[in-house]
Amino acid sequence: MPETTYLDATELVLNMGPQHPSTHGVLRVILKLDGEKVIGTECVIGYLHRGVEKIAENRTYAQFVPYVDRMDYVAAVSNGLGYCLAVEKLLGVEAPPRAQAVRVILTELNRIASHLIWLGTHALDVGAITPLFYCMREREEILNIFERYCGARLTTHAFRIGGLQYETYDGFERDVRAFCDMFLPKVDEYEDLLTGNRIWVARLKNIGILTADECKAYGVTGPLLRAAGVRWDLRKAQPYSGYDQYEFEIPTGVNGDSYDRYLVRIQEMRQSVRIIRQALDGLPGGPIMGKVPKVIKPPVGEVYLSIEAPKGELGYYIVSDGSTQPYRVRVRPPSFVNLQALDRMCRGALVADVVVVIGTIDIVLGEVDR
Amino acid sequence: MRQCAGARVCDELMSADKPEGKPQPATKSPPAMAATAWEDELTRQLKQHFGSQISEFSTYLGQQFLVASPEAVIPILEHLKQEAGFDYLVDVTAVDYPDRPERFELVYILYSFARNHRIRIKTRIAEGVRPRTAVGVYPTANWLEREVFDMFGIEFEGHPDMRRILLPEDWSGHPLRKDTSILAMDNRWVKEHLGIESGQ
Amino acid sequence: MKPSAWRKFLRTVFFIDLIEGLWVTFHYQRPKYIYTEQYPAERPKIGERFRGAPRLNTNPETGETLCIACNLCALACPEGLIVVSSERNEKTRRKELTSFTFDTSRCMFCGLCEDACPTDALELTQDFELASYSRQGAIWDRQMLEEGPRPTQYVY
Repeated sequence: MPETTYLDATELVLNMGPQHPSTHGVLRVILKLDGEKVIGTECVIGYLHRGVEKIAENRTYAQFVPYVDRMDYVAAVSNGLGYCLAVEKLLGVEAPPRAQAVRVILTELNRIASHLIWLGTHALDVGAITPLFYCMREREEILNIFERYCGARLTTHAFRIGGLQYETYDGFERDVRAFCDMFLPKVDEYEDLLTGNRIWVARLKNIGILTADECKAYGVTGPLLRAAGVRWDLRKAQPYSGYDQYEFEIPTGVNGDSYDRYLVRIQEMRQSVRIIRQALDGLPGGPIMGKVPKVIKPPVGEVYLSIEAPKGELGYYIVSDGSTQPYRVRVRPPSFVNLQALDRMCRGALVADVVVVIGTIDIVLGEVDR
Repeated sequence: MRQCAGARVCDELMSADKPEGKPQPATKSPPAMAATAWEDELTRQLKQHFGSQISEFSTYLGQQFLVASPEAVIPILEHLKQEAGFDYLVDVTAVDYPDRPERFELVYILYSFARNHRIRIKTRIAEGVRPRTAVGVYPTANWLEREVFDMFGIEFEGHPDMRRILLPEDWSGHPLRKDTSILAMDNRWVKEHLGIESGQ
Repeated sequence: MKPSAWRKFLRTVFFIDLIEGLWVTFHYQRPKYIYTEQYPAERPKIGERFRGAPRLNTNPETGETLCIACNLCALACPEGLIVVSSERNEKTRRKELTSFTFDTSRCMFCGLCEDACPTDALELTQDFELASYSRQGAIWDRQMLEEGPRPTQYVY
């Protein structure tokens, strides 16, 4: 941003500091304003930087799995899935079909949980307080399922390299089915509250438009890309963990504005329930752990594997030197790359719209900063 | 190889059985991986345009990559974007091999929506070399290159805003280089601020 | 006006879309199921596999510890916060546990130590109330590990 002096009376530099209820974490946005209109923004990140990539070089492959949960802490299961799949690809092992199906169920439940947090906090930022409580109530059910399955609600450490550690607990299928049956009417409830609501539409329509070409140029993936009209989902384009067996649709939007992104994510929640039901119906029996050696020492090489996390394309680039510790682990975080487009999306918007745009990108600072 | 960095046990509980040794992250470069050659329409096209500037076309585990010389990287990216339809830059990152004379290996990962295919472009640069920025080709590279600079110290020429992004502005050092040891950093801080030898 | 435009006009003027949203909230006014848990008067029901406070198990009949001092948990821990010390008992030719230190202030409760233990001696229980008044209080030695933390019980 060009320098401004105190005598420059038409432009105001406002700091939306790291402690702010609407920035979804410790994100600092420096706004350059002309009255209420935003001329430019600058994001300052790094307040939550923990050096996960450096830690990875000092831990063994299996020891690093709990750290991976803590990056995108809202969707911890997806992070674990990506990392385990990447290491399994390096090793040349594939998880058995039962493990893959349970992984899909847990990952889709996690996608619903992540979108619920997104919906609750985004609605809260815009001003609607009620959806937050309702979303948290549904999320409690999902977190209870996670707790009964793997022992933790948020940082689940659900998967291991090669499969699963825990067999599904006794009431797993019943609980998940009960959740799916309970959840679909609740999504209709959220839509009743928000979709036709004139305040919601006025706050979200035509705000933060990012066209398909701009999305591709900025490397933006996930629901933002789909709302711009590009029918692309890594679960269909490059399926992993048995996703090609399940039938589901990819919801897309038309304009690429915040309202379309909201609709896309609501539809994604419904499609996730569809996938979970299909996976439960066809849940195979069998072992839950593949043939992985006790000491994981992949051959020298490198791999890049990405999955469709709730926020976008989450990629892991792992370089192995043949020892028990990875040589380099690079995490390609979707929120980091999506956040770059904030400047583009906020051109000409008002200050209140900046809050809406930060909400629609769906960032989690743990992932942006790692 | 185990590390017990930062196990803050009080002195009387420190016992003889505690695993000894400083953490040893890998500093020796790994041996070459078992990559096989990659040959198809795209490689022929690239060979035609860039000839000797691409030293290697390989594939490992089904993922294709090519190794190019540093000056050729931006023209290759431009060519791939315009001619071959690789319109999405997935990632820019680097790996540090301190043994080699050209210690950093800069990796660009590209994806093409039309082909549904990912390739990697690698280049080896020595310390102090300033590669050209890819921001002109893909705006995604803006923050990604800032992060590479922050973590490794590789400056990109022509970048609109070459500053640290994740670490504070006044941080000295580049953490992801292999010669930066977290334990040494911890010991330095502890000596300076607490006056004790080590927190271990 | 066309019927759909008329309908839209009426919806806008009479705030029908807002009333639909308000109806959703109003019908929760007398809920059948209250979601609020009265903690700490009633503790929540926690799953069996919950990874909470660590505990060193003892054999219920003999009262001896089940730990064989194999150090596998210390090796498995990503943070390296378990310190196991043992001495060799000449009579039985086996290692006997002398002291066991677990630093809960740096533990991330990942469960790798519990998975690694061959005798089920180290277990992560369902206790989540681990607060202490000092940093030293978070480093648990063997006695605390075996008994478990004792959080204050609130009686109403």
